[in-house]
Amino acid sequence: MRIVCPFCGERELGEFTYLGDAKPQRPAAGADAVYDYVYLRDNVAGVMSEHWYHGGGCRAWLKVTRNTLTHEISAVEPAAGAGAAKVGA
Amino acid sequence: MADFSWDVRSPLDRALVVGPYGAQGDAGLALTEIRDFDLVQVMARRGKAGAMTKATKAHFGVAAPETPKAVAAADATLIWSGPDQFLVLSKGGRHALEMLAPVFAGSASLSDQSHARALISVSGDKARATLAKLSSIDLHPGVFGVGAAAATSMDHTSVTLWRGRDRSGLAVFNLLVFATFAESLWHTILDSAAEYGVTISHSEEFA
Repeated sequence: MRIVCPFCGERELGEFTYLGDAKPQRPAAGADAVYDYVYLRDNVAGVMSEHWYHGGGCRAWLKVTRNTLTHEISAVEPAAGAGAAKVGA
Repeated sequence: MADFSWDVRSPLDRALVVGPYGAQGDAGLALTEIRDFDLVQVMARRGKAGAMTKATKAHFGVAAPETPKAVAAADATLIWSGPDQFLVLSKGGRHALEMLAPVFAGSASLSDQSHARALISVSGDKARATLAKLSSIDLHPGVFGVGAAAATSMDHTSVTLWRGRDRSGLAVFNLLVFATFAESLWHTILDSAAEYGVTISHSEEFA
C-alpha cells in the first residue's frame, strides 16, 4: 500500500503510522459523550476516514479516505492544523 | 559544582575510517562526512507562514522552499523539511541560531540542530545505485534533479535528502541524519556500497 502525501508525494506505507478513525469529534462536555468519544469505534467495512501520521517524512498529520476492504485510497488531505499557513492566517 | 569540559566530536568519529573500503580498483562511491556546520530548523508559527516567507526573502534574498526542494542562497542552503518549515544549512556562524533569531522574531520558531545531525555527502558513479538499495524515492535525474529534496526514511531512519550541485558531471546527494542514528546508517551505506568500492573521507567544506 502506498499513500500520496499532499506535501511529499507518493510514499511507501513504512513511512506512515496509523492513528484510527478521523470521524469522532471531542465533545464539549458530558461523561457519557466523552466515554463514547474515547472508547467507542465503528468497525467499518468499506470507505472510512482515517488519520495517518507521516513520521518517516514531513511529520504532518493526514486525513486519508480508505476502503478497508480493498485498501483503495480515494483521497488524502492535510489534517486540521497541518502546517501553519492554513490555520488562522 | 562539577566542572564540565565539553569535547565536540562528530557522531561518526568512531565509525568513519578514512581511506578505501570494499571492492578494490576504481571506487564507485565517494562517501564524505561534512563536519562543523550550522543547522537551524525554522518553523512558521501558527498563522505566520506569510511573515516567515517575507523574513526569509529579506534576509537570504531567496524565497523559502514551499515544496520539497533545496534553495541555494549566497552563503546558505534552505532545505524544505515539511509544510511551512525548512532547515538553514550554513558555515562559519553567519546564519547560526543567534544570527537568525532577530530575523524570524515573531514569525517562526527556531531550533538549533547543528550538533543534532550528521551531514553525509554521497557521490560517484554508483551513488544512485547505492541509495536505491536504501530508499524508495525515485532518484532518476529526470525526476530528482539538482535542488530536489525529500524528507524520507532510509533503513527505518528519518533523513533529509537533497541533490546538490553536480561534481565532475556526476550527481551529488546530501543526507542529514539524526546524530544518534548516523553510525547505524553509515554502516548500512557501506554495506550497500561495498561491491562498488568506496572512498571514505571527511571534510570541513561543503562540496
